[in-house]
Parts: sequence; C-alpha cells; structure tokens
Amino acid sequence: MLEEVFCFYILFFAIIVSAIGIILAPRMFLAMISFFLLICMTSLLYLTLNASYIALFQFILCGVVLGVYIFLLLKKIGRLNLKLKLVPVLKIISGAFFTVAFGVLCCLFMNEEFENSLYSIFNYITEKSSDIVDFAGHVFPLHLVILLVLISAIVIRVYLINRSEDV
Amino acid sequence: MDDFLSFILNIGLFHYLVLAMILFLIGLCGVLISRNLVRIIMSLFIMTVSVVINFLSFGCYCDSSLEDANMMGIFILLIAVVQTIVALVILYKIYQANEYLDSEKIKDKEN
Repeated sequence: MLEEVFCFYILFFAIIVSAIGIILAPRMFLAMISFFLLICMTSLLYLTLNASYIALFQFILCGVVLGVYIFLLLKKIGRLNLKLKLVPVLKIISGAFFTVAFGVLCCLFMNEEFENSLYSIFNYITEKSSDIVDFAGHVFPLHLVILLVLISAIVIRVYLINRSEDV
Repeated sequence: MDDFLSFILNIGLFHYLVLAMILFLIGLCGVLISRNLVRIIMSLFIMTVSVVINFLSFGCYCDSSLEDANMMGIFILLIAVVQTIVALVILYKIYQANEYLDSEKIKDKEN
C-alpha cells in the first residue's frame, strides 16, 4: 500500500519535472533527454494503471522510434546545441494568464461535474463500443491501419520522387 | 489533518486526473511561450500524453473495461506519433527554405 503511494508520487513529480524540462531546458539536447525521460516515466505510470500493453507500445513507438527520429533530425540540421529562446515577456505574461484561466476553468468543471457526468460519458462510450467488438476485434483493424499508412507513405514517396524528376 | 492524510495516501482517480491536468497545462504553456518549433511540437505531444493518462485512469477506476481504454489510448498515441512525424517533416522543409526554426522570425518573414 505504502509502496504504491510512494511509487505514484515519485512518478508524479518525475513526470512534471521532465515536462517542465522539455520547455525550459537551456539546450536542445537536454530537452531531448527530458522528452525521453517523460516517455519512460509515463510508461511506468501506465503500468501502475494495469495497462502494460499501452506502456510497451508507448515506450517503443514514442520513446525509441520518435525520440531517435527527432534526435537524428536535430543532428542532421545541426541544432542539438540550440539555446533556449522564449517569446517576449508580454506574450509570456498573457500566455500564463490564459493558461491559469484555462486551469481555473478545468478545476471548476471538475468540481461541478466530477461526480456524475464524466463517469457517465465514459461509460456510455465504452458500453457502446464493447457491446459488439471485443479486444481482438479492436487490435485487428489497428494492424490494417498501420499497413495502410505504410502503403500510402510508399505510394506518396514514389509519386513525389517521380514528380521531382519531372520538374 | 487526518482527512488530508487519507486523501494523500489513498491514490485514486482524482490524483491521476490532477496529474493529467497539470501535464496538459505545462504542454499548453510550452506551446504558448516557446519560439523553437521542435519544442512546440514536443509540447503538443505532452498534451497528447496527458489525454492518454486521462483515458487510462478512467478505464482503470471506472466500471468500464480497461481494454477499451487501452485501445482508445493506442489510437490516440498512434495518431499523435504520425502527426508529430508529419509536422517534423514540414519543419525540416521550413528549415531548408529559411535556415532557422524560430517561429517569430518565420512570422516576421511572412509579414
């Protein structure tokens, strides 16, 4: 019981710190490290929610594939050491104001609606979807989607190569 | 005091929702204050992760099945990753054309 609480709070603060690190890291490669840490920590958080499948999925797809992709892109354009640049102070203040206003609205919404509406909306969606299709029924179309994305990417790539040769 | 301690120690749906909300706000803040386009894209990804945490926590703590929440989360993540990769490719083209990734400079150039 106590271990679970301890684990949750460690993950809670690690996730928040790494998220802040992404937007406020002084160098770009530090932001990349924060991004990778965020993915790892959220994957661990999913494990505490008994969602091991999505934890693995996120770690591989986002942590390994996307992280390496962004890293290689930044390396290619030579921007790994890029310094942190923020928008002017006035924009930061107005942005912070809107963020706080949005947060207050979120809190008010949660306070008003937490007991019934969010539960009922979520249950409505899942009941409608789980009546007919089971888990395997969801996974199979996912494979089709991935296959279609790959095929369309190859087709577009070939089309663009031919087009650029024409030009 | 005892109520507060019991609230802190009994991890439930509310704690996960608070975490998701804070993450979403940090992502939103990143989108608003960053000038680097790569950071803006990563901030958008933070917001997506917070949405997935929301889905999974509802799936875990409500009566509904966790598998459905898993599937929703996987679809959201898949779409987010594809969207991020497409955005990065567009960003690379912008860099090739302008030699910088600064949103303010790009906006100035457009004006």
